[in-house]
Amino acid sequence: MRPPFFVCAFVLGALPGPGFAGSLRAQSVETTHAKVELLADVTAVDSGQTVRLGVHFVLEKGWHIYWENPGDSGQPPVLKWKVPEGFTAGGIQWPRPERMQTNARVVDYGYHDEVLLIVPMRAPQRIPTHPGEASFAVEAKWLICREVCLPERATLALSLPMGTRGKANPSVEQIFRETLRRLPHPLPAGWSARAISGKNEFVLAVRRGKSIANAVFFPLEPGQIDNAAPQKAEATADGARITLQKSDQLLKPIVVLNGVLALADGASYKIHARVANQ
Amino acid sequence: MKNIRTALPLAMLLVLAAAAFAARVGEPAPDFTATDSNGKTHHLADYKGKFVVLEWHNQGCPYTKKHYVSGNMQRLQKEWTAKGVVWFTVISSAPGTQGYVTAPEENEYLKKMNAVPTAVLLDPDGTLGHLYDAKTTPQMYIIDPGGTLIYNGAIDDHATPDPSDIPNSKNYVSAALQEALSGKKVSDQATRPYGCSVKYKN
Repeated sequence: MRPPFFVCAFVLGALPGPGFAGSLRAQSVETTHAKVELLADVTAVDSGQTVRLGVHFVLEKGWHIYWENPGDSGQPPVLKWKVPEGFTAGGIQWPRPERMQTNARVVDYGYHDEVLLIVPMRAPQRIPTHPGEASFAVEAKWLICREVCLPERATLALSLPMGTRGKANPSVEQIFRETLRRLPHPLPAGWSARAISGKNEFVLAVRRGKSIANAVFFPLEPGQIDNAAPQKAEATADGARITLQKSDQLLKPIVVLNGVLALADGASYKIHARVANQ
Repeated sequence: MKNIRTALPLAMLLVLAAAAFAARVGEPAPDFTATDSNGKTHHLADYKGKFVVLEWHNQGCPYTKKHYVSGNMQRLQKEWTAKGVVWFTVISSAPGTQGYVTAPEENEYLKKMNAVPTAVLLDPDGTLGHLYDAKTTPQMYIIDPGGTLIYNGAIDDHATPDPSDIPNSKNYVSAALQEALSGKKVSDQATRPYGCSVKYKN
């Protein structure tokens, strides 16, 4: 099925006044259970600049969409970009997900309420002197579930004046700022993450020089840990030790346990823990 | 009395520990007895000597629909049962959830869809689903004639609800059965099953 609307929002960075704040937001598309829109964090784009675009999902209450590793069921959103010549779209920057327990056997990873999926967009080093506008379009496909699941899709578009350095887009500053805070950081210097492979479990040890309470691990690769098994997280003097049950699907030893460690304070970190045998 | 009190939790623990690794490729497939949509009882052990496919099913799930509306699942059922493979469709949706059907409703659906599994096992209390730790619909398992689980995972390598992806997909079930029937080792033994969550009662 084709998407119901093709929305084009022209973002004019030069227009002054608070009355125009609304026009800096793209028009949204409503699907059966979500409202989606394409946002830009700036009002214009210049040569060589990397700007952030984002697909903003506002979900109907009780419904959810999925993280890059959806867990036991579901499917992550897919974004297919159409960008002006010379522009390069990066990958989705996934905010830390929630752990969603559907039943005793199924745990998924994803988002309720709202989520912004940010994609860095790099402008070419040289753009023409009077280039006009850069038009971006994205075809988004996602699975949305409550008790049941439905595939949804929308095509969204946005244009930015080109050849001038824009300002921060005030109408979306907050959602971008909040989302950036929810992105997993690389492991800070002085921290370490290692895993020990036991018969039926991995024990992930994260050290940072002080205790970590209530850490949750989100695996990036499917089929390594049993998502539905309870995670045993113990605070240690210098970090945390998390026991993760191995998946039935895991038939070969793994070298690295990749994932995201989410802390109780809202911060999250990318984990690439080398796995050693017990 | 004291003995019983300590023995019971221990026994429960053992059951739980066993359940945690109930359906692992390379190990004996958990035995079961289940009733089909015609009221007939099937005991897995009675099918020793044959390949058995288990297909977790929910007729309302978009991922299941992908393979039924396109006729893909029926083609597989026809092809492999003709070669002597036993094909059990399993429905673990609890009453009141998506995909739950009564026996007559299921038989009507089979007729309408021209589906030809060997039988449809009705598992509304989720016993069979929990025994195999089935997560999604569809999720596929293959058991070899010796009773060993040789495949656990997705139906194919395109985790989408879009039927137009089927022609470009590698069907893991066909690939595994082809290999196994010609005496080869299955190359892809475990893959991430994709689809809707199985609608267990708990």
